[in-house]
Amino acid sequence: MTANPPATDKTSRRSVLNWLSSVALFGSAVVSVFSNLVFMKPRATYGAPSRFSIGRPEDFPSGTRISLDARRVCIVREGDRLAAISTTCTHLGCIVGVAETGFACPCHGSRFDQDGNVTGGPAPKPLPWYSINLTPNGELTVDTSVEVQQGAYFQV
Amino acid sequence: MKPPAQEPGLAKTVAELPRNLWTSIFRNPLPSSDLGRSATSFTNFFLHIHPVKVHQNTLRPLYTLGLGLISLFLFLILAVTGVLLMFYYVPSTGQAYDRMLDLRGSVAFGTFLRNMHRWAAHGMVAAVFLHMCRVFFTGAYKKPREFNWVIGVGLFLLTMFASFTGYLLPWDQLAFWAITVGAAIAGYAPVLGKSMQFILLGDYTVGQEALLRFYVLHVVVLPALMVLLIAVHFWRIRKDGGLSRPEEPVEDKPLYSMKMVAGTTGLEPGEKTIGLMGFVRGPFTKVGNVPDRSVYSWPNLLIAELFVFVLTVAGVLVVSLLFNAPLEEPVNIMHPPNPAKAPWYFLGLQEMVSYSAFWGGIGIPTIEVLILLALPYLDRRPIGVGQWFARERLLANTLFLLFAVVNVILIVIGTFFRGPNWTFVSPW
Ligand code: HEM
Ligand code: FES
Repeated sequence: MTANPPATDKTSRRSVLNWLSSVALFGSAVVSVFSNLVFMKPRATYGAPSRFSIGRPEDFPSGTRISLDARRVCIVREGDRLAAISTTCTHLGCIVGVAETGFACPCHGSRFDQDGNVTGGPAPKPLPWYSINLTPNGELTVDTSVEVQQGAYFQV
Repeated sequence: MKPPAQEPGLAKTVAELPRNLWTSIFRNPLPSSDLGRSATSFTNFFLHIHPVKVHQNTLRPLYTLGLGLISLFLFLILAVTGVLLMFYYVPSTGQAYDRMLDLRGSVAFGTFLRNMHRWAAHGMVAAVFLHMCRVFFTGAYKKPREFNWVIGVGLFLLTMFASFTGYLLPWDQLAFWAITVGAAIAGYAPVLGKSMQFILLGDYTVGQEALLRFYVLHVVVLPALMVLLIAVHFWRIRKDGGLSRPEEPVEDKPLYSMKMVAGTTGLEPGEKTIGLMGFVRGPFTKVGNVPDRSVYSWPNLLIAELFVFVLTVAGVLVVSLLFNAPLEEPVNIMHPPNPAKAPWYFLGLQEMVSYSAFWGGIGIPTIEVLILLALPYLDRRPIGVGQWFARERLLANTLFLLFAVVNVILIVIGTFFRGPNWTFVSPW
């Protein structure tokens, strides 16, 4: 085709058709790959809810640092201030353990201070703090989908 | 008039049955001539993947070390034992671990099959890596085998990914934390990282969705891709003119030469051509103008293959008799084991990741893979092919050796020198 004499009506119609069908073919390939990717991305997850109750303020006397590992969060109480600090290591997602100096990760040795700041190891970011609320019936809830600033304690 | 064909009697039919059955399946009697040996190779569906003749160098055990074949046979062992294990395994977080215990306690040969599957998987990772090293050190990736090297790199990555997905399936502590860490590494990839991690796990953390996804990848998607690539790999070996070998002095014997003229369809008027081969372009075994150092595939190549096969199976059997595949405590999200270690072949990666998640887990591995892929297109000098550690390739070989040794050292550090909280410990 390429070596044909200058475009006559016929060849140009044919090349337009060729072009159109190639675009259609290629387009459908792209669309089908894309739709398969979309299919693979779940719209709803079955995982744990991001908002959960942790009990009443009296359950956490001053000075406690309780790690709720199933929830991947550590509840800290100092005086009348409460905080919920994530225990998911910001490096690669292992659960950090509560240590004397703060938190320590068993996987690649990241260490964090009491407030979750990185003090050593490969973790790139401090542990995030989550928002705490008091429900009307006196229960504390933590919402892991809402991060608050470090040091933004909840006053009870 | 011709006499009517003799009706064979019943007794004769029965008496000849075994023979007739045999010859209906195998068209050729056991060959005693060269023609017969050729026919055996290409009238049999399973054998016709072989060329009729192979070069002697191909059969030299010390040239290939049989590593490609070992990889293949381990893959076959994995397919067979894997399908058997599928009859008992359920990819559910509630059942998977119990099914592992059942294999141990209430399935005949359950432990043994699981051992075979596990050790063959470890062996395959090692064999494929060593095979890659062999190909490099013999310069076998050079023209015209560049693309087969690229396919090989694809096979290497698929092998690693298949091991990775298989690792989650027992749903024990080791599995859970290795995959938590591994999937989080994917999350560090630029732009698409988080979506990739989410699509891989089907959720934000490792759970039922991840187990199901890994199962499907492990038993269907990845093996299917590997079968496809292995088929292309083998096809290319033949189309690239058989295995690489040292260049041979060419005697000028134009009488039977089959000349391929670059840029033409191959047939020029007045040129001497032989048979149909003339229509197929490509680097072919040339007929007549080289001293014939090839032997018939039947039985030479076949026996070599059988030998490697028996050796591979025997190796896997012995290891599986001696050592049991590990099974740790069931998943406990509360308590990551300390230290939480990935399987050994990922410990080099884990060691690098403990310095920087992005560079160790994404940056450096990506660069390494890109370099591996580009290698045959960067190193264009057609020298030192078909020979281990050729003098002319001193620089290339040293660099590759360095690459291999660094990876091995990282693995050794990760395996033996890392203790609780990934601190440096001495194994002694
Ligand atoms: C599932 C993995 C693989 C299997 C089953 C496999 C199988 C084989 C087999 C049976 C051979 C014949 C020669 C021999 O046994 O050494 C071969 C040759 C070859 N393989 Fe692989 N291979 C695999 C992975 C790789 C990898 C990772 C690479 C490199 C990145 C690679 C590159 C090559 C090349 C270039 C040849 C031709 C060698 C020559 O001509 O001397 N293969 N492969
Ligand atoms: S996951 Fe915590 S240090 Fe790597």
